[in-house]
Amino acid sequence: MLYIKNILSFILVLPLIGAIVLSFIPASNKSLLRSIALNCSCLTFVLSLFLWVFFNKSVGTFQFAENFFWIPILNLNFSIGVDGISLFFILLTTLLIPICLLASWDSIQVDLKKYLIAFLVMEFFLIGVFCVLDLLFFYIFFESVLIPMFLIIGIWGSRERKIRAAYFFFLYTLLGSVLMLLSILYIYYQVGTTDYEVLLTFSFSPLEQKIMWFAFFASFATKVPMVPVHLWLPEAHVEAPTAGSVILAGVLLKLGTYGFIRFSFPLFPEACFYFAPFVYAMSVVGIVYTSFTAIRQSDFKRIIAYTSVAHMNLVMVGLFSFNVIGLEGAILQSLSHGFVASALFLIIGVVYDRHHTRMVKYYGGLVHTMPIYVFIFLFFTMSNIGLPGTGSFVGEFLILTGSFKANTTVTFLSATGMIIGGCYSLWLFNRIAYGNLKTQYFKNYLDINKREFLIFFPLLLGTLVMGIYPNIFLNSIHFSTNMLVEFMYF
Amino acid sequence: MRIETLLFKEVVILPELFLGISLVYLVLHCTFLSIKKNYPLIQNSILYLGVLVLFLSCFLVLNDGLEVLEQSVLNDTIVNDYVSFSSKLVIGSLSLFCLLMIQPYITSQKINQFEYILLILFAVLGLFLLCSSNDLLTAYLAIELQSLAFYVLASFKRNSTYSVDAGIKYFILGAFSSSLFLFGSSLLYGVTGTINFEEFKDLFVNVFPGSYDTISTEISLFDFSLVQFGLVFILISLLFKLAIAPFHTWAPDVYEGSPSASTFFFAVVPKLAIFVLLLRIFYYSFFGFFESWRYFIVVIVVLSIIVGSFGGLEQRKLKSLLVYSSISHMGYALIAFSAGTLESIQMLLCYLIVYSFSGLCVWSIFILTRLKNNHLQKQNKDLTDLVLLGKSNYMLAIFFTTVLFSVAGFPPMIGFLVKISVFLTAVESSMFFVVLISILCSVIGTFYYIRLIKILYFEKVLVGKLYYPIQAQSSVLISFLFFLFLFLFINPTLLYLFSYKISLLVSMSI
Repeated sequence: MLYIKNILSFILVLPLIGAIVLSFIPASNKSLLRSIALNCSCLTFVLSLFLWVFFNKSVGTFQFAENFFWIPILNLNFSIGVDGISLFFILLTTLLIPICLLASWDSIQVDLKKYLIAFLVMEFFLIGVFCVLDLLFFYIFFESVLIPMFLIIGIWGSRERKIRAAYFFFLYTLLGSVLMLLSILYIYYQVGTTDYEVLLTFSFSPLEQKIMWFAFFASFATKVPMVPVHLWLPEAHVEAPTAGSVILAGVLLKLGTYGFIRFSFPLFPEACFYFAPFVYAMSVVGIVYTSFTAIRQSDFKRIIAYTSVAHMNLVMVGLFSFNVIGLEGAILQSLSHGFVASALFLIIGVVYDRHHTRMVKYYGGLVHTMPIYVFIFLFFTMSNIGLPGTGSFVGEFLILTGSFKANTTVTFLSATGMIIGGCYSLWLFNRIAYGNLKTQYFKNYLDINKREFLIFFPLLLGTLVMGIYPNIFLNSIHFSTNMLVEFMYF
Repeated sequence: MRIETLLFKEVVILPELFLGISLVYLVLHCTFLSIKKNYPLIQNSILYLGVLVLFLSCFLVLNDGLEVLEQSVLNDTIVNDYVSFSSKLVIGSLSLFCLLMIQPYITSQKINQFEYILLILFAVLGLFLLCSSNDLLTAYLAIELQSLAFYVLASFKRNSTYSVDAGIKYFILGAFSSSLFLFGSSLLYGVTGTINFEEFKDLFVNVFPGSYDTISTEISLFDFSLVQFGLVFILISLLFKLAIAPFHTWAPDVYEGSPSASTFFFAVVPKLAIFVLLLRIFYYSFFGFFESWRYFIVVIVVLSIIVGSFGGLEQRKLKSLLVYSSISHMGYALIAFSAGTLESIQMLLCYLIVYSFSGLCVWSIFILTRLKNNHLQKQNKDLTDLVLLGKSNYMLAIFFTTVLFSVAGFPPMIGFLVKISVFLTAVESSMFFVVLISILCSVIGTFYYIRLIKILYFEKVLVGKLYYPIQAQSSVLISFLFFLFLFLFINPTLLYLFSYKISLLVSMSI
């Protein structure tokens, strides 16, 4: 295969090409618009599978690497590459985008063209974040994601509160990340380049590390989100359209953890060790607090939103255990959360499309009328709790094992989050699926159709595979994490 | 004065001469034509004549630049080097765009006097001379030429109270700041006996930043504190012209009251020329006194960015919003100005060029969207007037969004790149707190740009103000600017090399 070494840049620009093609098609021809967008994103997914197939699992270095000149006189260049850490995030992105497009097949009717273009442009930015090997370009892609997401929440959101939610989302994230920009500028001033592989050879003084770690932390913690700055997430989730929530929970939250693994860990290892107790404390507070908060919510989406905060904080605990088990668990849990949370938001989307409400109290006894739907809901509720046999179990198990080595108290406290997680998930499932049908609210019920089943099927399969035989994922992750941990300790 | 320089043998100020002579010709032509033909409407034809004249003088500038050597003429009062060449080129092209963009506006607003176009051309002549001036008096005269044209442009709508009010405010404060400039120059002349930038540089060649205190005791040829005093006066007067906080208070009123075409012109075009003069005085001639005015500038930077970011939050009119945006942007430009390195000049020029072009885009959109069913012909648009633009003119709204994100300094736009370049120079000279404050204020500033985007897209209203469609000629220009924006981010090397070459000349004394 001669062209396989250029496949990454092709995957990167393919959604952009799709967006440009879409912009030339008249907005009235909706079916053509939809099919072009879907085909383009599916093609991207298939190509990214090739990335996995041709990925060399026995090395931990960057593969499919390419370099492009951008501003040579300032020594700023554009380089991309994939290693075991970023590979599955790219695959997750490319998988979720066609699912999102399918999920909004019927529900989005106004401004369809802009919607599809926004999604494809966002796919471009997200793939860019995960494959770029230059700190400045990482920042550029990391921030650019805000623009399409801001528009998606603001234009296609459901209620009047959406504008507030869009502002929340935009300004919180921006305020966090300008501090990161400042320290990127400092790094560029110190090292003279922002190329990732060159930066790895440079070590900063402890004070510099602490300050810059904190600046990076401000940005990534807002994205994860950690507790004091998590307020934008429930707002944004509740107001966003279903597909927007899916991308938000599935991929955007992972930008934070990915940023920690990729940049904070190897660039500021000493500061990472120094601040680990701080992160533990914040994560544990986040896990317990948001789990309890999730119990008392009345909005279906808000419950799942708080659940994702809890799970992402668990990922943070895994990351800061600084050993291979914890790191691999964190990456696997990120992936499985990408599957499960997305599926749960899609499940909400199914009933929201039919009844246009997300209040839990209006639903009840769906098992009588929508059995397939309830089966899928049950499956994903169980994987949300972390039932053995699903990907979340493997992830959580590895995270807790890893953190047990590092700090037993933290492991104990974060494990309580799983118990509370059982409470809210099962109670939610109970309220929605069992009991009597609330026919005083809804008269007509309809089980999921073929399209919706097709949406859930790959997520279901992926979660199962990840739970039953996680090694096909861990194989590729292993060498990169190993290298990272060795790099941090030595 | 050497006579032969005035002959065509080696005329180095050919563009200015051409512009001046054709302006005189245009004045005579218009006057006689008007009287003979009983005052016909010659606005459009004069506008295209003006465009032709400007285009030709831009061409002459370009022609000059092919063999740019540093030449000074007229007893060293005017210099022609790469700085003046490139800034004249940028200013010329900006004014060309301006003239073409305001054509629908002056037709619809019935600004029928031909003097309007001529005044704009006079202002351009002043700016050209300002770019190439090499002594304080020439600079003063050039500033006066462009300012006097601007005063008249501001008060051009004689039947509107606001316009006359704006003109008088602009005139009084502008004259005041010019007199400060003169006062500073006379101080400098009194101390040193010269007004030439080149000679200033030679005089203070032994003065290095931070060292003038020790030298002054040894040599004591000049009273250095008087020199610093004069410099501060000149600085304040030029900052007045740039409308930088705390000298900005005239700007919102004047911009709001003047006819939009005039505001367009003096919001976009003159900033670069004044910065070139600032660079010539403070970097080329008086770099030895860098430390003495640096902290002054740093305070002004912080003030200006804070005023610009917070002041814009409560604005309901697009014009006032743009004024505050320009105040904060001038603050960012001054960050680079206060850094005092070779790169800082380069980034400053990059920033100014990109800022001018994005200002051009924003103001063009503002001027081209003419309200339908508007009996009063009011142009002072509220922000909420734009509510239907996203639906009625979809492409224009997208262009507006792109430009707004660029002005807000948001990736992936060229505005982001130049902004971080400016911050980079500040980091390089260890001004961390200034950068921290300005970077946090820029987040607050972003809020009012994304409020505009919210108004464009997020409101689900069906009733609102409608706009006339945009003429083909303006659409071509707008799309050209759009692609320029996209291209500049994909390949910004051109911009950086261009400004690098300029900065090399200015920074000879660093």
